[in-house]
Order: sequence, then C-alpha cells, then structure tokens
Amino acid sequence: MDVGTFVIGLSLSALRSATPLLYVLLGETLSERAGVVNLGVEGQMLAGALTGFAVTVLTGQPWIGCLAGAMAGLLLSSLHALLSLGLRANMFASGVAVWMLGGGLTAYFGTGFVGQKIDGFSGLKLKGLERFPVLNEAMAQITPTVLLVLFVWPLVGFWLYRARAGLTWRTVGESAETAAGLGLNPIRIRLQAILAGGALSGLGGAALSVDYTRNWIEWMTAGRGLIAVGLVIAARWNPFLALPAALLFGGTEALTLRLQALGVNASPYLLATLPYLVCLAVLIWGTRRAHGRGGMPRDLAAVFSRTE
Amino acid sequence: MSATPTVRRWAAAFTLTAGLLAGAKAYAGPVDKVGFIYVGPRTDYGYNYAMDQGRQEMEKALGVKTVFFENIPENSEVERVMERLSSQGFKLIFPTSYGYLDPALKVAAKHKDVIFMHAGGFKLAPNLGTFFADIDEVEFLSGMAAGAATKTGKLGFIAAHPIPQTLRNINAFTLGAQSVNPKATMTVVWTGTWSDPAKEAEAANSLIDQKVDVLTMHVDGPITIAQTAEKRGVMVCGYHADASKFAPKGWLTGSAWNWGPLMTAITKSVQAGTWKSEHLRGKLKDGYVKLASFGPMVPDSTKTAIAAKQKAYASGTALWTGPIKSQDGTVVLKEGEVMPLEKVESMGFLVQGVTGTLK
Repeated sequence: MDVGTFVIGLSLSALRSATPLLYVLLGETLSERAGVVNLGVEGQMLAGALTGFAVTVLTGQPWIGCLAGAMAGLLLSSLHALLSLGLRANMFASGVAVWMLGGGLTAYFGTGFVGQKIDGFSGLKLKGLERFPVLNEAMAQITPTVLLVLFVWPLVGFWLYRARAGLTWRTVGESAETAAGLGLNPIRIRLQAILAGGALSGLGGAALSVDYTRNWIEWMTAGRGLIAVGLVIAARWNPFLALPAALLFGGTEALTLRLQALGVNASPYLLATLPYLVCLAVLIWGTRRAHGRGGMPRDLAAVFSRTE
Repeated sequence: MSATPTVRRWAAAFTLTAGLLAGAKAYAGPVDKVGFIYVGPRTDYGYNYAMDQGRQEMEKALGVKTVFFENIPENSEVERVMERLSSQGFKLIFPTSYGYLDPALKVAAKHKDVIFMHAGGFKLAPNLGTFFADIDEVEFLSGMAAGAATKTGKLGFIAAHPIPQTLRNINAFTLGAQSVNPKATMTVVWTGTWSDPAKEAEAANSLIDQKVDVLTMHVDGPITIAQTAEKRGVMVCGYHADASKFAPKGWLTGSAWNWGPLMTAITKSVQAGTWKSEHLRGKLKDGYVKLASFGPMVPDSTKTAIAAKQKAYASGTALWTGPIKSQDGTVVLKEGEVMPLEKVESMGFLVQGVTGTLK
C-alpha cells in the first residue's frame, strides 16, 4: 500500500464529496450573513438536482443543465423569501415548508427521469501531463463543477468582506434596524441574499446529479442540504472557512469508505457516524473559541435568544 | 418454464401458527382488480422497477386490471392505501416492500375476504402469504463472470447494510468467482444506506483506487456504480435490473428479478381457489430470477461454464453446499454438507476471501 497514492486518492475523494456541499454552504452563508436562515436548501438542492439532470437529458449539455439547476434553486428559494420576508412567517417553519415541497415535487416530477442516461462532463486533460501517470489520472478525475466551486469560494468571500454591496448585506444581518436607519432597504437586501443562496444551492444539487453521480433518484441529496446549514455554524459564518469545513465533512465521509476499501477492520455503523462526530467536535471547539456567538450575525442571534 | 412454482413449504416452522389460524377460509374466485404497492418510484431502475415489470407482465398474461401506488412509506400510510383497496373490491393485493409486513397483517385481519401477498416477509395469516425468489444462485453465476474476467484478482462489493440478504449475495458472488478463480478476493464497502448515489460513487472510486477491477453492488439502483466503473475503465456486474447501457464497455452481466411468472401463478391460484397461505420462494430454474445480458468482454468459454452451472442448479444442486469456510477459516459447512434453509435465510457470516466487517 503506497502512502502517496492513498493521500492523493483521499484528497481527490474529499474534494469531490465536498463540492456539492460547498456550493450550498456558500449560498447559505450568504443568506445567513444577511440575517435569514434557510432550512429550505435541502429542497432547493433537490430542485437543482432534478432540473439540472432533466435539462441535461433534454439538451445533452451539462453546462445548460447546471445553469437550469441554479435557476430552479433560485425559484424555489423565492418561496422562502415570500413566506419569511413578505408574509413575515417564521423563517424556520417557512424553510421546512420549502424543504418538504422541494422533496415532494421533485419526487413526483422526477419519476420520468429515473434510469435516463446522461454523459456529463469529462475530466481534465492537460497536455504534457501524460509523463506523470498518477498525476494525470488524478487530474482526469477533477471535473468542471469542482473547479467552478474553487472559483466561486473566494468570490463569495470577497463579496462579503471587500465589496460595498457585501458590506450592506452584513450590515443588514447585524441589525436590520440600523441598516434601515442608514437608508438601506433590509427587505430588498435579504431578498437578494436568499435568491443568491437559492441559486448556489440549486447549482450544488446540479453538481451532484449532472456531474458527480450522473444520476437522478428522489431524495438523492440524502441530507446534504441540512448538513450545509450545520457547517455554516461550524465555519462560523465565514465564507473563507467554508472550504475547510466542507472538506472536513467530505473528507471524513470519503475516509470512512476508503478505510473499508483498504480492509481496515472497523464497524461500518461507527464509521458511518464519523463525519457527523467530527463536525460536532469542530462545532463545539469553534463555538468555545469564539466565546458564545461564534460569529453569528446579531439579528440571527436575536431569532434564537430574545434576551440578546 | 414450468407452470407450478417451486415452493419451499416452510410447513414445519409454521405449523403452530397455521394451526392456530386454521379454520378461516381464504378468498377464492374471480379477481378483477389487483393492487400493487411500491415503497419507491417504479422507475427506480432497481427493486421497484422489477416489481412493476412483473405487474405489467401479469396484467398482459391474465387480462386482469391492476392498480399501483408508488412511494408509499412503510407506516400508517401504507395501511391507509391497503384499507382503501380492500374496501374498493380488490381481492388480491401485493404489498411489495419488506416493511409493509406488519401493516399488511393488520389490514388482513380486518379484511378477511382479501388476499395479501407480501414480498420477502416471514409471517403468515390465513389470508396473507409471502413470495420471494432466490437470487443468490444468479449472484453465483454473475460472480463466475467476474472471477474469470478480473486481471488483478480483486473484486469489490458495494452494499447498504450487513443483513442476511446482502451477506447471501456477497458470499454467493464470491464463491462463484472463486469457483473459476480460486485466488479471487472480495472487498466489501458498506454505504449505510439503500440509496445515496454520491456515497456509491465514492465507494466505487475508493475500491477502484485499491486496484479492484470488477465491481458489483446490492443497493437500490445499479446506475451510479455502473457509470463510475465505466468512467474509470473497470468492469461491473449489476443487480436488480439490466444496467448494461450505463456501462457499454465494462458490463459483464448481473442478477435481475423476473416477477411476472410468479405473480401470474399467484393470481391464477386465487382465481382457481388453490391459493394457500404459505411462503413461496421462486428459483432460478423456474425463471423467477435471471441472469442479465452478457457484455462484450465475456468470452464464450465463460458463458459455457455459466450455462453448465445453471444446468446443475436446475437439476437440484444446492448452492450452499460444503466445503464453505467463513472469513477467519472456521468451517461453516463440511464437504458435501448442505446448509438448512432457515440458516440460509438468516445468514450472518462472510466466506473466506472476503474482506469486510459485519458489526
């Protein structure tokens, strides 16, 4: 057993598993930084996964599929915006409604697409790399949605910390009241943040179906949307920390499978809980280090605790 | 194809139950409408797809009307569906998911004039029987194709949970591979869930990275694993349904259900008044399970060997015949010894040559 091969394999595997999750995680970070929790991301991810797959089946173009997936996520998130911003419904109840609706609708409309075949993206082929077979094979496993998310990741960070518009989003997240006093329109800004998050979660779903698995099956996200909501907290609402958080989860998940493939004698049941345990540990560690709020936007904190 | 299903009558084990329940007479007579209930979408390209193919074949063969319900959870919802069907004149209902057993027993107790045929269960009522088919024989044949084709001698099995059904398949597949290639080894990766394509893709990748060159599976659908194998240039044996189009190059063969004949026979027996409350188990020789189509990489010599083994099964050779050793070398069956059926149905070990953890 070659250690180098194992490390390369595990890293690629972690990156692949983390990719769909990272899109969703970045999207949820955006909307939470503007002060809105969206539990509907699971449903939005499913909407993106089905729409992305279906459009790829119909057009044969995975990029158009991914774009359509992002649009589907955006569209479904607008329902969360309507309920939570427009009708002032409880944002958790509204998010759960969107989550269930997304799951139900995609299960219903998706039946016709189960068992369809798509070709998806092909892996990277770099000239001159043929001389290094291990590296060449590794690169061939990196697909366009992986590269795209590595590009989107710093972009979201710069948007929140370096762009003027991002600053207004954060202001609204800290205190809508203050923001309104400054002449900003908190509702409009939160709407933008929800929709941006919706598009990213839809894209994450499409990355899962069109690229990663080339398959559609109902509820195929298997809780990854909700995991992303949890990872936002572990990453302390910091988009730059989103990549390590997603890699940690994806990597642990990949590790549990790789250990088995290596023939390590460990309980499959315990291994399956490992990704969650690791995230929980990071969550506790992160919260303790940040003394309480852990980077949570102030207006969000108010949703949880009225005394703050 | 023989007209009467090969029946394993579990009479001995169930004499007590049957005795207690004797006296009530099950419905016999015309069947106009037959109800089918699936736990997932009938287009899942796996378990439910196979059940629905059976339904369609039965409908065509007998000209009876069928109605199906998809995505019905294994809780009070399936009870409501069965309740509604029972009161709407359905005389025969097929609850096809393992978890439908207890709800079906409940509804069956209320509607004595309706017959329930549950898939894979192990309990009976005067108007409730069960059916299933022994797919492990096909897994053995499929394993032969894998054992003959592997160049690295390393096979990989991706399965959801360590339960008797998956262990039977893993063991049968491995024994099949070893029958033609004694050095072949099997590595098992458990995904912990029946359906999570992302995990299935990653499990496949991790096995391929360990030089495994033939993959097979026991999860809800074969598509993601077949496609991942094809993408990485290794071979694959399918499960549940023929997925050869997802791996045109690397597809070897696979195990598939063929419920049509069994469902037809069951419906006929109700019409004829010969239906009995029992555990029906179809076998390969009757065509209730079958080998999927062969891929381009399977040579004629392998096909001939598989056909010969298939013939042996048809003439009564038992798959679970010794010598069989478990992972650590413990003798499970001595030379020539045949495993009793209840042991087969509650299998809790992996055979020698398999790497994988059970608990």
